[in-house]
Amino acid sequence: MKRIVAPIFVLLASILTGHFVTLHMTPVAIMKNAIERLEERGVALHEFNLAPRTTPQTQTVVRPSPDLVYSICPFDLSGNQVLAVRVGPYDDYSSVSFFDIRTNNFATVRIDVGGDPASGSEIVLRAPGRAALDPLMFSGPQIEAPTRRGLILIRRLAPTQAAYHEVVSTAADDSCSLLIL
Amino acid sequence: MSTKAIVLYASVVLFGLLVGNASALWMSGLIGKFSAASFANINIANWTSDRSIGAVSANPYTRARVARHGLLALVKEEAIYFTRSVDDSGEQLQERCTYVLSGKRQKAFWWSVTLYDSESRLPMNDDLALSIDATTIGERGEWTAIIAPTPPAGGHWISSRAAGRFDLTLRLYQPEADLVEFPEVWLAPPRIQKIKCEAAA
Repeated sequence: MKRIVAPIFVLLASILTGHFVTLHMTPVAIMKNAIERLEERGVALHEFNLAPRTTPQTQTVVRPSPDLVYSICPFDLSGNQVLAVRVGPYDDYSSVSFFDIRTNNFATVRIDVGGDPASGSEIVLRAPGRAALDPLMFSGPQIEAPTRRGLILIRRLAPTQAAYHEVVSTAADDSCSLLIL
Repeated sequence: MSTKAIVLYASVVLFGLLVGNASALWMSGLIGKFSAASFANINIANWTSDRSIGAVSANPYTRARVARHGLLALVKEEAIYFTRSVDDSGEQLQERCTYVLSGKRQKAFWWSVTLYDSESRLPMNDDLALSIDATTIGERGEWTAIIAPTPPAGGHWISSRAAGRFDLTLRLYQPEADLVEFPEVWLAPPRIQKIKCEAAA
């Protein structure tokens, strides 16, 4: 009896370890894979890349909406940096959402429809643990990233080709760049 | 410890890790025949959803499943996603059948219904008719659309060409607070009535 107790214990411990390590690592692996595929398509770090209009032929992620246009910016704040995110103004639904390397949507900022076209919207993303910036220096929303790597995604409603052309125009004002402090 | 014992324990550990790995992938729907609608904690007239999509509070199974079937999904305060893979009689949606999708205005800034194949992809056709949305329907309270592989004589159309077995995702962007809190009460779930089916090939 004693001879089989130890192997059974080791088996159960191995099953549990394999189960929970896989469970924990799967979203991270899927997110890293998505970022790598973006890099292969030429999407640079700290730069918004406007996707072509979503069609079956252009889809790159699962379940994309053909009615929304996506701009994506991969970030890596391993140097404890701060990222300044600017979203160009748009006359219909738009939002900017932040995803950590575990796929959590840790923040979403709605962009006012018909807001001041000159200003757009500016948001600061800080590396994990980094102190907030002086609000006198930067008055926009400040968000602390839970992980150093992740993705920022702007969604804009554009169900027609004409609306997509409008997005192309306003997306020229989007930016996602490291702040030099 | 003898060589025989070392080999035994190494085999046990390897086998255990493989079983643990496979069980985690299966329980989170990454292997096996699971659709995007297979896991849910809300079911309203067969439209299913999970309140924790995108959230830090999501359990690891939900997080893994969403990473596979809905990467970069938003939290429910910004968008609610419902998926449905069966018609009103409870049968799997499939390309060879024609359906009438009907619904009412939703309590959200914008909504859409989009068709996806069993791999959670837009089906590979060039019909430019893979969804209907609030801007297509306009301000009308009630609406209908045909889901079929070929266009109907008139009206709104969602193309199922090249979709095989498919499902629909209902997106509700900027949902009103009561819809977020009590979707069972405030969601107007679209109906999917099967009209006819072509014979299976």
